[in-house]
Amino acid sequence: MKKITAQDLHSIDELQTSYINALDSKNIPGWLETFAVVPDASYICTTAESVDRNLPLALILDDCHARLQDRVTYITKSWAGTFQDYRTRHFTQRVSAEAQADNTVKVRTNFTVIYTPEDTGSSEVLTAGVYEDVVSLANGSAKFISKKAVTDTSVLPRYLVYPL
Amino acid sequence: MNKPLQNFDVLWPARTNEIPKEVFTRADIYEEELKRIFYGPEWHPVAHEGEIPNRGDFKTCFVGKVPLIINRAQDGKVRVFFNACAHRGNQLETATAGNKSEFECPYHRWLFKDDGALVGCPAEAEFTPGFKRADFPLAQPRTEIFKGLIFVTFSDRTPDLDTFLENSQAGLSNTLGNDGRLKLLGYQKVRYRTNWKAYIDNDGYHAPLLHKAFKMLNWQGGVGRQYATGQRGHICFESALSLASGSNFLKDPSVVEFRGSDPAKGSNITALFPTFAATSHLDMINLRFANPLSVDETEVHYAYFSHQDDSPELAHHRMRQSANMLGPCGIVSMEDASIFHRIHIGNHTPGNVTFQKGVKSVSVVDMEFKQNDESGNLPRWDYYRRSMGFERQSA
Repeated sequence: MKKITAQDLHSIDELQTSYINALDSKNIPGWLETFAVVPDASYICTTAESVDRNLPLALILDDCHARLQDRVTYITKSWAGTFQDYRTRHFTQRVSAEAQADNTVKVRTNFTVIYTPEDTGSSEVLTAGVYEDVVSLANGSAKFISKKAVTDTSVLPRYLVYPL
Repeated sequence: MNKPLQNFDVLWPARTNEIPKEVFTRADIYEEELKRIFYGPEWHPVAHEGEIPNRGDFKTCFVGKVPLIINRAQDGKVRVFFNACAHRGNQLETATAGNKSEFECPYHRWLFKDDGALVGCPAEAEFTPGFKRADFPLAQPRTEIFKGLIFVTFSDRTPDLDTFLENSQAGLSNTLGNDGRLKLLGYQKVRYRTNWKAYIDNDGYHAPLLHKAFKMLNWQGGVGRQYATGQRGHICFESALSLASGSNFLKDPSVVEFRGSDPAKGSNITALFPTFAATSHLDMINLRFANPLSVDETEVHYAYFSHQDDSPELAHHRMRQSANMLGPCGIVSMEDASIFHRIHIGNHTPGNVTFQKGVKSVSVVDMEFKQNDESGNLPRWDYYRRSMGFERQSA
């Protein structure tokens, strides 16, 4: 097993920070940039209930890089002007990182998302859960090969516009 | 002194295309709806057998405030129980799903077999004289099944399911794969901050207007119709869906392809009164179980299925499509979710809402409608009005 270095952990944490900063700034193209440009790069948002029951359906399932690009189109073009917008604040805590043989790292990171709809101005918890990510450290830059947000929240308190 | 329930002080407009906004927002009306509709003479779908395929599988859910367990016992039979111990009424099962051959109440350790029989109750010798276990099985509401879709009713006055379903059976059967042999792909569950009647009030008029993706995907509304199935407030939609072509909107258009279903019947909805909808859209098979938590909140469980005879590739395609298109994050339905919230906020203003598209007369309620009419919702509203005992004002 390859040993993980302090520099690796720093790169991983910087990537996670870029990810949540892009989402909390509603920089959707910036969200896309945190993923490796490989055909099978993926983002999946599902529930712990579904994972426990081995149910394949997800809340959001972008299982290739083309679909990640389509997600940006949905948010910035298809849905624009139709929903009650909301701010998010993501809070994350890395809880494990395991280096893999192929210069990737499996990372688990707890998250909480607070959301504030523009119309109510009242902040509430949107969801809590864990990111189960595979991060590539190739070429000196960290990118997500896959990112899976597994929410403890099995019943969403609201529709989701933005990925978690 | 009790006020008469008949009119509830609601001034129901004489014009058939107007609905008083207060029925969406008044807590006293919600309480009356529980009695008259949710605990009244209606059948409520609570699960599909595809959700509990194996012996011992169970699911829990609610109709109104009433907790239920739906299970497939070791004898292979599907049953629905009230999720309450036959002793003191303690909630028996807390998991939303699982596999068990017995249900034990932790309070006094009364134990029930999965067919509902009481098989254990500590200190039984000290119970009332003549106590018999056979007198204390788990209670069951009336239950009937149509193509695997499990219905319950809490009223003795409800007609049999066949009568209740009216002419919705062909459309419903079609969505359920005609033989009901569905396999669960998973759920999307959400609480909408809206009254249940606003949730079900989505119409045929809005689709190409609200959902920009329809135009971006080059989806033309094909030939289609909507119709009331009779006098019980059920509405069916059937329409063709032209294939997405000539659009470069999506980098991965595979997600909107037809791979098993006939585009000529590309979009079907069977909306049963009060809150259930079964839809088949593209290759998706979607059952929507909705429950009113309060006057202001409706919980919806979108359950998605494949068919047992699907190839692994088709089942995977259905799963991808389902996860992308519908539900609270779907490309052609997230906007609906937002409208549910906004319409509930707006419904706290005075007056009536008005339906226009497709309304030919304000003195009758039609039964047959064009695909993009909003008047298709009016037979359901009329059934609701009659169920609640609200009298129209004279014209």
